Amino acid sequence: MSRFRSFWLELRTPLAAMAAAVLVLNLLSFGLGQVPLSTVLTALAGSWGTTYGIGQVLFKATPLLLAGIAVDLALRAGLFNIGVEGQIAVGSLAGTIVAVVLPASLPGIVALPLTLLAAASTGAAWAAFAAWMRTRFGAHEVITTIVLNRIADALVAMLMTAWLALPGTVRTKDIAPGASLARLESLSPFFSGSAVSWAFPMSLLVLLGVTVWLRRSRAGREVVWVGHNERACEAEGIAVSRRKILAMGLSGAIASLAMAGTVLGYKGYYEIGLGAGVGFGGIAVAFLGRGHPVGLLLAALLFGTLAQAGLVINAQVPKEATGILEAVVIIAVALASRAGRLDASARAAKGES
Amino acid sequence: MSQLLTLTFVAETIRLSIPFACAALAGVWSERSGVVHIALEGVLLSSAFGAVVATLASGSPAVGVLGGVLVGTLLSLLHGLLSARFRVDAIVSGIALNLLAASGTRFLLRAWFDSASNSPPIAGFHWGPTGSSGAAMLARTLLDPVTLLAVLAVAVTPWVLFRTRFGLRVRAAGENPVAAASVGIPVVRVRLIALCVSGAVGALGGIHLAFDQHRFESGMSGGRGFIALAAVILAGWRPVRAALACLVFAALEATQILLQGQRKLPPEILQMLPYLATLVVLALAAGKARAPAGLGQHATEER
Amino acid sequence: MPEPALQLEHLSRRFGAVLAVSDASATFHYGKMHALVGENGAGKSTLLKLAGGAEKADQGRVLIEGVPLAPPTPAEAIRRGVGFVYQHFMLVDAFSTLENLCLGHEPVGRFGALDENQARRQAQAVMSKLDLDLDLEARVAELGVGQRQHIEIIRILIRGAKVILLDEPTAVLTPGQATHLYATLRRMADAGSCIVVVTHRLQEVRAHCDHVTVLRRGKVVLDTATSASTVADWTRAIMGQEPPPPVQRPARPEPVQGGLQLKSLRVESTDKGHLAVQDVSFTVPRGTIVGIAGVEGNGQRELVRAIAGLQPCNEGSVWLDGADISKMSVAARRAAGLAVVHDDRHREGLMLDVSVSDNLVLGDLGTGSDEVKTVARRLGAYGIVPADPSIRARNLSGGNQQKVVMARALDRSVAVAVLAQPTRGVDLGAARGIHEAIFQTARQGAAVLVISADLAELRAICHEIIVIARGKVVTTLPPDTAEEVFGQAMLGEAAP
Repeated sequence: MSRFRSFWLELRTPLAAMAAAVLVLNLLSFGLGQVPLSTVLTALAGSWGTTYGIGQVLFKATPLLLAGIAVDLALRAGLFNIGVEGQIAVGSLAGTIVAVVLPASLPGIVALPLTLLAAASTGAAWAAFAAWMRTRFGAHEVITTIVLNRIADALVAMLMTAWLALPGTVRTKDIAPGASLARLESLSPFFSGSAVSWAFPMSLLVLLGVTVWLRRSRAGREVVWVGHNERACEAEGIAVSRRKILAMGLSGAIASLAMAGTVLGYKGYYEIGLGAGVGFGGIAVAFLGRGHPVGLLLAALLFGTLAQAGLVINAQVPKEATGILEAVVIIAVALASRAGRLDASARAAKGES
Repeated sequence: MSQLLTLTFVAETIRLSIPFACAALAGVWSERSGVVHIALEGVLLSSAFGAVVATLASGSPAVGVLGGVLVGTLLSLLHGLLSARFRVDAIVSGIALNLLAASGTRFLLRAWFDSASNSPPIAGFHWGPTGSSGAAMLARTLLDPVTLLAVLAVAVTPWVLFRTRFGLRVRAAGENPVAAASVGIPVVRVRLIALCVSGAVGALGGIHLAFDQHRFESGMSGGRGFIALAAVILAGWRPVRAALACLVFAALEATQILLQGQRKLPPEILQMLPYLATLVVLALAAGKARAPAGLGQHATEER
Repeated sequence: MPEPALQLEHLSRRFGAVLAVSDASATFHYGKMHALVGENGAGKSTLLKLAGGAEKADQGRVLIEGVPLAPPTPAEAIRRGVGFVYQHFMLVDAFSTLENLCLGHEPVGRFGALDENQARRQAQAVMSKLDLDLDLEARVAELGVGQRQHIEIIRILIRGAKVILLDEPTAVLTPGQATHLYATLRRMADAGSCIVVVTHRLQEVRAHCDHVTVLRRGKVVLDTATSASTVADWTRAIMGQEPPPPVQRPARPEPVQGGLQLKSLRVESTDKGHLAVQDVSFTVPRGTIVGIAGVEGNGQRELVRAIAGLQPCNEGSVWLDGADISKMSVAARRAAGLAVVHDDRHREGLMLDVSVSDNLVLGDLGTGSDEVKTVARRLGAYGIVPADPSIRARNLSGGNQQKVVMARALDRSVAVAVLAQPTRGVDLGAARGIHEAIFQTARQGAAVLVISADLAELRAICHEIIVIARGKVVTTLPPDTAEEVFGQAMLGEAAP
């Protein structure tokens, strides 16, 4: 098969998904009495049309990228992490608690890692529990992670109302200054005014790290192998359960950092409901960019654009449309990648392979 | 604790069990045919919305029931088409359709009712005696048409599944689709019909939720579809046992509601009860239950 | 000549890059027993499936009593009187015999309810005609292979099949059961049915069939009455050349210490919760090749899994070179020198969508050896073709896939090798290569245990053969024992 054709095959799935998303967006806006395409144009202008818009897209893409990496990493081990929502909730809260109680005088070099570590370890434990339920009892992680999401919501609500929230609000106190993430506008005037912070380059580093880990390290490669054929791995003495729990734990750790940019780089506090929906956005990102770091980044940027554009066009199409687009993208990718496989085998049947 | 043994508690338990039981029955129908159905949550939610919209549009709760059943059936059929016909991974399809139901209903709430959280109120059915005594509540609960339909579904399902030709074919498709296809059973078609039955039965649960609250609320299914799946596993994919298992989850929810007024425990802890129970159930039952052997398999190999 | 029951005209079928059946034509008659023979991958099963509507032809057509089969589906074939008995039985394990018998053509009463009495009457009618007796209420999961095969045959007869196609029907039977099956088939042929059997056992064809059709690489290369030709003729046609001399197994070494030892092993079955391996004890000394013969499903799978460490022993122990390894993990046993090849290479051997190089080092990461060198050595030593480590395992032929699994297991310091179905589904050339590798392993001093459903293979390569039935060791026989004695033993009856 020629290099060009395989490139085209790789590209076709995301293109189909994006076409489906644009089509659905048009249908929705048309159904609400808008001129077709005008919504799309407005959305584009409000996102990639200005430097502020670009910064906002990156800001919105940051949690989606981290959530997407998290879902993708679990998928590599053959696990569906539908629990990113809950991992974000408990992880963000744990990180915020540490960031709030740290002395204001503590320098960033100490405070920030402590904060992120608290968030990541909490999210990791929360997610690893679901993997443990799977490996120990055979309880499917889709059900357990969903149920854990509900428990996380209730737990966070309880802790907040009992002693964390400022009286009369649903938010915590402000974080210690040392734990905050600087905005990128301090780096370049290009980003001036937008909320994008160091969390974005940090998420790129996470992406790079996970990619290298999966391809080069023994543990990472074995995680991928377990995802491909668990029984063959078990037969060759690979610790399948440990690898799955490890992958899910790392997935939860990365997931729980998803809102770091928002909490530490933008708001400076945590509030109930922060990050709701990001977990499901992460699923869409993971499916669209599946298995490829560049794909994940582009998918996160696409959905970041949609999120930013959703705000811009809220007057024309309610921003709730984003979730519909995510669902459509997941279905379109699943259908297109299946069609791609069938197509490839049909071509092979003609002897062109 | 004496309140737990009153007629009120019994009535509450039965009332709260209906959405769980309908979703569980829907899960039995789908998974017995070999299709993993985690889109049950979406079926509950979308059919609740469909029922409210149809009721508001027609003024008749009976039309509302039809509207809810229609929407739930269509969503379930879509899941069947994607996973059985087009062979998208059933988990992926289920995740996407749950997301579609959650955001689609929010979107339409905003578009049609200009609200982020709930629809205008609807009347629902008003059958049975009035009054707030436990006996009156129980009578009202038991005379509710949606409840009656759900009970009928629970009663009829075992007969259809285990005594009829259609039921035999559904179970054959779920146990060994390759063998079923080899004797000429159209496996995909059988699964699509089973998914329609599943959607219609599951929709009764969503309709019950909506009529019970007298309106649609965003996200009102509250994870019941997933808890119902745990009940299905606990019951070993047997319909009546699955419905009975749902009574346990409903009793926990009823306990939560009755105890909430007492303020002895934080309400959030009580809210967690059904979900914690689900985790315990999964830990105890998941490894031991015998799932339909052909769950997630297709009749022909991919080539 | 009466009108043929079934005619295949210029059939072709391609799977991916492989032309499985190429312009094949054949004619089958009522009252006759036909055999279709050929190597693994010669296209005989595919041709049979085309005849039964289970596969669609790319070119050519199937005529039943002179009328084309259209549409080419199993349902239409059954309707036209063509019944198919698959190699892997098409039965629903969770259903009763009766439910399996009527599945797909269920008699119904009111409201679509099953008419069980009617179904029972239909089944009884066919069973009495064939002189067979089955418990209609038994769950199929609890039945043996012989009874399962009877269900398949009775099922297509209830549906009025007069042309009966059987794919490798004796592969899972003991020699005695096979003879019984052919007697039943002969009764059906004498009653006017047309029987077509796919097999690779030429002695069965000689003993029982009227006509033989030989396929090689998808083409019909010989089509003749069995009385007009010899087994040697068929073998030449199957191979396309003179058969190679039989493989030479290494001489049996002097008794030595070490190797594999099982002591009173009891293992629970993977699915049904009963004991699949019962009180099994034997020793495989280093340098010796020992075979395990028996009808499939008599505990072989559980035995291998227990030795490998994938399943716990309920009682008893597994010893390697004098050390008890029963409590060790799979990885620890591997490190101690145990090499295992499981019977299903797709499920327990390979990661089909992962590169060949990764497949070759699965489980070997962290052992400190140079990965690139290991991959190159294994590719070369086992002659894996194409020798490109970057392609996906899925794109290798069955024989080369099996070589990958063998190379990974045997290309290291091996004290004990346990090899389940080492040549299943691979062509004769690859099978020879695999046998050479087994001999090499034994010559280097490893104890080798081979589990195979192919008795002829075991008799060719083993120093001695243990026969098991229902999870118990029946007897241990030298490889040159008569086949009938093996057949008796496989039924659980030790020769006096």
